[in-house]
Amino acid sequence: MTGGVLPVWWDDAADGPTNMAADELLAEEADRRGGPVIRLYSWTEPTVSLGGFQRLVEAESCAAISGLPIVRRPSGGGAIIHGTDLTYAAAVPKSHPWGGTPQTLYDAMHAAMVAVLWDFGFDARLHVPSADDPPADALLCFSRRSPGDVVVRGAGRPARPTDPKVMGSAQRRLGTTVLQHGSLLLATCLGVGGEARHEGLRELAGPPADWTARSLADRWTARVAEAVNIVREVQPATFTCGHLPEVAARASRFRDPRWTGRR
Amino acid sequence: MAEMKFAKSHEWVRPEAGGLATVGISKYAVEALTDLVFMQLPPVGRKVKAGESLGEIESVKAVSDIYAPVSGEIVEVNAALPNQLDTLGSDPYGAGWIVRIKPDDPAEMSGLLDQTAYDALVKS
Repeated sequence: MTGGVLPVWWDDAADGPTNMAADELLAEEADRRGGPVIRLYSWTEPTVSLGGFQRLVEAESCAAISGLPIVRRPSGGGAIIHGTDLTYAAAVPKSHPWGGTPQTLYDAMHAAMVAVLWDFGFDARLHVPSADDPPADALLCFSRRSPGDVVVRGAGRPARPTDPKVMGSAQRRLGTTVLQHGSLLLATCLGVGGEARHEGLRELAGPPADWTARSLADRWTARVAEAVNIVREVQPATFTCGHLPEVAARASRFRDPRWTGRR
Repeated sequence: MAEMKFAKSHEWVRPEAGGLATVGISKYAVEALTDLVFMQLPPVGRKVKAGESLGEIESVKAVSDIYAPVSGEIVEVNAALPNQLDTLGSDPYGAGWIVRIKPDDPAEMSGLLDQTAYDALVKS
């Protein structure tokens, strides 16, 4: 780790292939800098990102998400419907204390978000597996539960082992770095069918809702930096803007039907 | 049995009779990944360079590359393995082998870690 800085980029909305290409480059940026980096972003249209080895046919045959564009992530995990979420990519060198086992980085990012959600009045916690957990191989990420996912008890409701999941993450473990994708569900996505309509923070919050995606993310990245005693540094330009030719070149792989249909 | 060598990326390689080399991933790596759910093997006949990805493995939510510890041609894959991923944990240096490579240069293995050096790496 060098410099004691956590660079954070807020990127403009982009399509799926552009976002995936930028995230791969973000992993290389972590390698160059020798420390953690974070990119926060959104999507130009509601999009399904499929886990690295999920079956495309399963997503295409799911009526609830029919018609949405699909991009395959390099990371694992379940499919995410982007559009009403805050998406992040974090990358750390494997030599970093967070780069060891997969769960270490999940826990670091998720524990910081639990603390921020408490600041904003949510009854949030890290999920502990229980016999009530849904199947681990459900198509949609927010229909699954993994140890350490962020779950929230809705305002005025009793706590249940099956409280809604509002944040999940998945990884691509590269040669010298780890790229972690994650999604914080801000609100139910109304443009999809029933089984894909997961409750988000907006539905789970008690009044007044004095948070925004920006305020949550600002506090979250600050807490992430504090956890390893480094300084969060919000970058003045977007990450994609600083890597336009490389992002454009690499996005072509994520547009290629052979990549999307690899399984 | 010939000495097994290790790459820093946690693959092992063992010279075999006939000039081939068997490749797998270390017990440490399997235990770190936990709960393996899917594996993609390379096609037989593919040429790989040392350090290049020759396959991918997914544990719960994490996809990892498997890197070639030596350069050469993949001459055999353990086709049964993707359907028996538990074998990677129960017998990582035996039935959990992943591919056999015909090395371009057998001397390339001398640049890899021996068991003692690898054990020190994972303990550091």
